[in-house]
Amino acid sequence: MDTVGWWSLVRFAHVAGAALWVGGQLALSLVVLPLARRLLDPEAKDRFTAAAGRRFGMLTGAVFLPVQLATGWAMAWHKGVTWASLAEPGYGRTLTTKLALFVVVMLAAAGHGIAHAKGRVELARALAVVSLVGSFGVVLLATALPAT
Amino acid sequence: MHTKNDDPAVGGGRPPSRSKPAGLRSRQLTAHVLVAAWAVLALLAASAQQTLPVARWLAVHLFLLGAATTAIVVWSEHFAVAVLHAPLPDRRWSNARLVGVNAGAVSVLTGVWADLPVLTGAGCALLITAVTAHLVVLVRIGRRALGGRLAPIADYYRAAAAAMVIGAALGWIVATGKAGPGHSTGLELAHVHVMLLGWIGLPVLGTLFMLWPTVLGVRMAEHTARLARRVLALTGGGLAIAVAGLAAGWRPAAVLGIALYAAGVAGAVQLFARTVRTVRNRPAISPAAAWTLAAATGWLVLGVVVDLGLLVARPLSEMRDDIGSLVAVLLVGLVAQVLMGALIYLLPVVLAGGPRERAALRAVLERGWAPRLVVLNTGVALLALPLPGPVGTTGALLAGAAGAAFLAPVVGVLVRSGRDLLRAPERAGASRRPVLWGTAAGAVVTVLAVLVANSGGDPSGGARAAGPAGPVRATTRTVAVTLADLRIRPARIEVAAGTVLRLEVTNTNAQRHDLKVEDGPATPMLAKGSTRVLDLGPVTGNRRAWCTLPGHRAAGMTLDILVEGDAATDSSGHGGHTSAAADRGGPDLSADFSAGWRSRDADLAPAPGATVHQVELHAAHTTVEVAPGVKQQMWTFGGTAPGPTLHGRVGDVFEVTLVNDDPSMGHGIDFHAGSLAPDRPMRTIRPGERLVYRFRAEKAGAWLYHCSTAPMLQHMGNGMYGAVIIDPPGLAKVDRSYVLVSSELYLGTPGSTAQVTKMRQNAPDAWVFNGVANQYAKQPLKAKVAERVRFWVVAAGPSDGIAFHVVGTVFDTVYKEGGYLLTPDQPGGAQVLDLATAQGGFVEATFREAGHYAFVDHDMRHAESGAHGMVEVSD
Repeated sequence: MDTVGWWSLVRFAHVAGAALWVGGQLALSLVVLPLARRLLDPEAKDRFTAAAGRRFGMLTGAVFLPVQLATGWAMAWHKGVTWASLAEPGYGRTLTTKLALFVVVMLAAAGHGIAHAKGRVELARALAVVSLVGSFGVVLLATALPAT
Repeated sequence: MHTKNDDPAVGGGRPPSRSKPAGLRSRQLTAHVLVAAWAVLALLAASAQQTLPVARWLAVHLFLLGAATTAIVVWSEHFAVAVLHAPLPDRRWSNARLVGVNAGAVSVLTGVWADLPVLTGAGCALLITAVTAHLVVLVRIGRRALGGRLAPIADYYRAAAAAMVIGAALGWIVATGKAGPGHSTGLELAHVHVMLLGWIGLPVLGTLFMLWPTVLGVRMAEHTARLARRVLALTGGGLAIAVAGLAAGWRPAAVLGIALYAAGVAGAVQLFARTVRTVRNRPAISPAAAWTLAAATGWLVLGVVVDLGLLVARPLSEMRDDIGSLVAVLLVGLVAQVLMGALIYLLPVVLAGGPRERAALRAVLERGWAPRLVVLNTGVALLALPLPGPVGTTGALLAGAAGAAFLAPVVGVLVRSGRDLLRAPERAGASRRPVLWGTAAGAVVTVLAVLVANSGGDPSGGARAAGPAGPVRATTRTVAVTLADLRIRPARIEVAAGTVLRLEVTNTNAQRHDLKVEDGPATPMLAKGSTRVLDLGPVTGNRRAWCTLPGHRAAGMTLDILVEGDAATDSSGHGGHTSAAADRGGPDLSADFSAGWRSRDADLAPAPGATVHQVELHAAHTTVEVAPGVKQQMWTFGGTAPGPTLHGRVGDVFEVTLVNDDPSMGHGIDFHAGSLAPDRPMRTIRPGERLVYRFRAEKAGAWLYHCSTAPMLQHMGNGMYGAVIIDPPGLAKVDRSYVLVSSELYLGTPGSTAQVTKMRQNAPDAWVFNGVANQYAKQPLKAKVAERVRFWVVAAGPSDGIAFHVVGTVFDTVYKEGGYLLTPDQPGGAQVLDLATAQGGFVEATFREAGHYAFVDHDMRHAESGAHGMVEVSD
């Protein structure tokens, strides 16, 4: 049996996607946005951040989400997860809460976009932070699961 | 515009917020929303007391640690600023302290409820930090400020904060059971006293010095400040002495301390009484607040007096139950009522934008105050009196109803003020920090998710040592203890460290007995048939219990409660939750299997028609529930232990493909039914390899197959065996045919020294049919009256044979190792099919009448340790 087999590649895609998502959020919040606020004129800053947010959102929806869902589903199928087993304590419940938290994160991200569109800047910022912290929570739960 | 008596800090002082900017109002609003939320949760928990054993603790602490603590932190800061004429402390740090206190409270409550000592510890640490910061702020603003004549009142708040820190530390020790049996009672009493009389009692007293004259509408007495200082010396000093005495278990110090405290309270009450007398024609500003506060003060006095009486009359170890009821009375009568009285007056002052709004809010809060007061105090009185149960329950209901009747208008006021604030042009939201809220929300959601993920007790795979094994998850165990004639049954109870132990003590002897736990609770004298429940809390050390009647203990009427040593080697693989029977180390066979468990189908499937049978067997590790509630990692063929049963006729060919799915070791297979050179077919294959084992079943019989890899004792002991049934030619048809493979069960991590030693010494944890202890006792085999039932039995071992017997019937046919020992035409009958290790055969019997017929290995040690099942015969 090879160590780098097909399933480890699936796992790789899943983890790499997660790294891009969390890393992207961190890069935006810790690097890009603070510098934009400091160095750009307010008008230019608004245009830049809006464009950056839109682009990141598009990448999330078009690339990140499908890849995570597909690879996640595949790994669950490979592990023999059934709907019933999701309620069982241990693996099942950890996976269920990870999924639930992921849904919360995605909703927060979507809400962030909507809030910006409506001009509610503070709410948007709060939701972005919720999404980031929640993403860490998802990673926490994912690392608690045994490798598939 | 703004009457002199509006703000309690009257007497030459600038009130802290004359103009009440929206930011301050919104902060007060948020704080009181928190208080109300905690109070609602406390009411809910109180109503669930019958169903949740921890609900009582939860209700008490939701109210005191949640609602009361938040109120005290907010108001003591507010009043300290007022009496010291100090500038307002930094708003952000104030918020941080408030958040810290609430987060700490949530953490402690969750930690105790979900039984996570780490969370409890973190919460206590957070509380101590936040309250220490609060204390530091209170000290610092005193130094920087000019101070007014009421400056001594600030000392009350400082002393209270110090008391809280001590109380939190004591609470931490008590909640995590670290105190040990010798000290836990004393520390618990110290915790209760320092919190109720210190953290809550002192600020109440201090504030009343100002609030009482204010709600009455009179001037404060001239010597208030001087008296306040003296009262604080008495109460603060007395409390310190009392707490030290209680913690050390030294009763005289406790009595002295509480006596001093009582003296201090008496002095204060004297002043309050005199103040009332100065109220002449002018009506009180708020009679509702005045009467409520008066009632609360009355309960304080009563509580302190009763406490003093208890301390004098009873030894400390017996005070626990009485203190429990006293706490309940003080909680409602003093704390809840003082909160109500204060809020009736103060809430409109801080939330309203102007005098007219203030009057409106006050009217809402005061509506129906008189009946509410009467109902509440009647309820508390009923709770306080030592009357039978239903009276107390009525009292609790009355008090709860009155509390709810107050909460409702408070919520209304808060909502109304909230709406007004939002409409105000200066948006209160400008001060909210989105990053903070976002982080908090995200963190809360994550913590909740992790708690849910970890819930549900032991996950499968208990044999594989789970990674970071935290502290032992303590379970609650209730043990039924019987007091017999000069004996206690059981004489020994073994619990895992940290288990919360409850004893249900019943006296079955005509003579009266009782049970007293060393340094713990005791039952009263019990008549024959009476039962009492004793709550021992978390057990961290060995304890004894005995009957206190003279001579009974010496005669042997003792009970030993032992804490199991770190049984890592012994119980790894048990899943950690087996409650061992007091005397045996084996699994608890009377327990229930987990929900959804199914016994292995024992029916012998008819032989497939073909003469060549192709079978694929996968060797792997599988986790199986091998005894009620016990999961064990088994080494399996085909995912089950025993492996699949093969069935055929004489002359059939079996082509078995063995696939080794076990990533960590090699396996092989040996079919007793075939004759061939073992070299190639029975060789060991490596992980991932496969081999084809082809044999012809030339002779009839019940044959064993098993793994052929050394050490075979372990491979077989861990589950790698199964049966091959080859029907003798002309085998008569029967109505039902069952296959039972008997074997031994060795629990523990497979391959570990402990487990292998058990195998070597032939000391299994259980003897089983078809791999699971007692499984057919829980889900019996079925038969009908007058049916002929055939039982095929194979003794897989690896060490023991079996003496197979069915209770209530006689075997008229016995076939063993290839030949009939007994046929129906013979006059004799058989009671047992005796098989040595690895032998097989079958017996037949009919069941005359409907009923339950047990089948066992008649070696009674084996039968009582899992080799036991049931046939349910119906009409």
